[in-house]
Amino acid sequence: MLQEGIVLSRSKGRYRWWKEFAFTTVFLLLTVWMIQFASDVLRPPQKVYGSTWSAFRAEPEDSLDVIYLGSSYAYCDINPSMVYASSGLTSYVMAGSEQTLSITYWYLKEILETQSPAAVMLEVTSLFFKANQNYTQQNIVYMPFSCNKLGAIVTAAEPELRLGLLFDLYFYHSRWNEIGFGDIWRALNPIQWDARKGHTAMEGTKEGAGEVLSEVDRVVTAEDYRANLAWLKKITDLCQEHNIQCFLTIYPSYTRSRPETYARIGRELQAIAPEAIYCDWSDAFDTIGLIPTEHLYDGGHLNQEGTAIFSNWLGGFLIGQGVTPRSQTAENTAAWQAAVQEWEETEAVSNP
Amino acid sequence: MAFLSLSFLLFFPITALGYFLLPRQVKNLWLLAASWFFYLCAKPIYLTLLLFVILTSYCMGRILDKYRRKGILALCLTADGILLFAFKYVQFALSLVGQGLQRVGIAFEIPVLTLVLPVGISFYVFQAMGYVIDVYRGGAVERSFLHYALFLSFFPQIISGPIGRAEELLPQFRTIHPFDWDAFRRGLLRFLWGAFLKLVLADRLAVLVNTIYAAPDTFGALQVMGAAVAFSFQIYCDFSAYSHMALGVAGSMGFILRENFQAPYFSRSIAEFWRRWHMSLSSWFRDYLYIPLGGSRRGTVRKYWNIIIVFTVSGLWHGAAVTFVVWGLLNGLYQVAGAVTVPLRSRIGRWLGLGEERLLRHLIQITLTFLLTTIAWVFFKADGLSNALAILGRMCYGPLWVRQSMGLNRQELIVALIGLIILLFIDLGAQKWDWPRIWLEARRPVRWVVLWALLFACLLCGSYGTGYDAQAFLYGFSF
Repeated sequence: MLQEGIVLSRSKGRYRWWKEFAFTTVFLLLTVWMIQFASDVLRPPQKVYGSTWSAFRAEPEDSLDVIYLGSSYAYCDINPSMVYASSGLTSYVMAGSEQTLSITYWYLKEILETQSPAAVMLEVTSLFFKANQNYTQQNIVYMPFSCNKLGAIVTAAEPELRLGLLFDLYFYHSRWNEIGFGDIWRALNPIQWDARKGHTAMEGTKEGAGEVLSEVDRVVTAEDYRANLAWLKKITDLCQEHNIQCFLTIYPSYTRSRPETYARIGRELQAIAPEAIYCDWSDAFDTIGLIPTEHLYDGGHLNQEGTAIFSNWLGGFLIGQGVTPRSQTAENTAAWQAAVQEWEETEAVSNP
Repeated sequence: MAFLSLSFLLFFPITALGYFLLPRQVKNLWLLAASWFFYLCAKPIYLTLLLFVILTSYCMGRILDKYRRKGILALCLTADGILLFAFKYVQFALSLVGQGLQRVGIAFEIPVLTLVLPVGISFYVFQAMGYVIDVYRGGAVERSFLHYALFLSFFPQIISGPIGRAEELLPQFRTIHPFDWDAFRRGLLRFLWGAFLKLVLADRLAVLVNTIYAAPDTFGALQVMGAAVAFSFQIYCDFSAYSHMALGVAGSMGFILRENFQAPYFSRSIAEFWRRWHMSLSSWFRDYLYIPLGGSRRGTVRKYWNIIIVFTVSGLWHGAAVTFVVWGLLNGLYQVAGAVTVPLRSRIGRWLGLGEERLLRHLIQITLTFLLTTIAWVFFKADGLSNALAILGRMCYGPLWVRQSMGLNRQELIVALIGLIILLFIDLGAQKWDWPRIWLEARRPVRWVVLWALLFACLLCGSYGTGYDAQAFLYGFSF
């Protein structure tokens, strides 16, 4: 009965529905592939300010010891190459601008598809973020298409962004009159190794940076804070599930919350994730060897020189916490050494 | 729910699949439920009005079938007219009354009503009116409420037509439409062509038109003329896009709706233009207003008078504003002037050596008709009479060109131009060839390339997504 309506027309007499079905399927698959390719061509390149999935995917599987998560505090303040130089630990910054903890959770899930880090270091300023900050589109759109990306779209993106995040052309099709051969080449070679390893270097010091300390609590609604804690708990649970040591950190900053706020956060985090190690380095300038007026780019982020000092120190800290470098292939070791050399040359140019 | 929305792209496959797979007894019920859901998505309150029109016109049809009385017909038409007036014209009427009273020195504060125009009301009310008039004239009455409800609610046409006729559409709900692969592909191709017209052409031209119409005094005469021409194409692309999509969606499910356009800008006279533009409305006015008024049977003067009346009402149907009335009136006057000057024009043609069938004569006629139509469209598009006059005035004085942004850069203009050339080629070819049939009979790679070309033109060069002010269909939600 249900099939009653389906009577394929036989206008040409020798109509073969299965043949049409097969060709239609091929047509649809080709169409999807072409749309995907067009999306890859039109999506603008992303090399700095986080969301560097293209470069991350170039790292050999199970080759990273440490993953740094969070917001701009993570991708500005940590240079994985410098951490490697001081400790031999291979690491990567997988953070995004004002990245919320909900997106970070899906980032970590996606990272664990290809990597098995011994430690995850999560910068927790994002506890004070709203449910949706300003860069959801940028933070999600570069994720490789997967269930985790879908999870991020459904649970962590604003409803009005979801269509565009599912279908990139919605955001970027108007770039059709800007594209060049470089965009096509990038689409054909989507995975690009990058010595920056997710880090964005900030040059120089803004006027007045590091001169006046600002200790003012960020404003967040109780509802958002509770939701953020819930996502953080999911992250720490995920770490525990994969036998990963989780560090919850606050990096050195001159625009920070009050010490008692950080102490309260420490207690709250201890309560929900006792296995995680909470590190409040907001005021650890002296310990690390940072000079605020020289090593801060602005009030909150370190500059290139400060990042080098902090990353060197961080390598030692992680080793001290029992995180040990895993064995690497000769090829990957050479790649890391090349990345270190590249940064050292950059620093030499910056500070002759 | 708009055709070009994610929700429709989900709605349609589910609706079509359900229609083809469900048992015969529930197919129409499924289609009605889907149509009402489609309409509910616009605004739930609107459905009550649609149900009211369905119920009243269905009952009146049944009554008229038994008691063919003019009074009953008048009652039904008056009820529909009041409904249309209440939702569409009250504010306009009040403003006219207010202005009239103010002119004679009586202070009258025009109340601002917050009535929201129900989506598609002008279309389904006209369709219902056409049905009861047909029944009164001896046409077949529909006894099945389900079929009649579908006749007024069928989702491809409910928002912007085409205005269907009972004798064409109702029998289609009584027959089974098995899945036909060719009809399905033909329908989808037509839908895609409609999407191309809307996304690539209409909404792109809208940027240029809106920019220049917003401040005509800051542009040169050629730019303002260009904007007026661009609007002629914009409204054609916009409305024919909707019709193509409606016919495509219905066609893919096996239903045949009325054609609404037949390359109108290749018309050689205004009368011909109106036989090829919004054909379902033009024929409605002919059958249910022009002929009852006496048509051409009561002498030449009365005929011209009837034409003026019909076109003025048509203008009012398009919108509750003086500009629409002027637009309609102008089209009526064009037609009258065209009819009056036939002998004179024939003499001039003969004097110039341009016989009736000379190509040059055809080209001149087509060009003149297009120009006259374009001038009339200025009133259709303008915010008010003063804006329309400012635009027309700017075409005649001031600098020819003012260097400033017209809203579209050079590449965008090139895309619009290429799109228009394709449109003209397709329209011209459609006079001789059945494009969908040619496409169906073409080799597979050719068919695929055509589909990909249309699809990627829409996806890459279409106006949609973040940063775009999505243009509603001009003949859509405001009618």
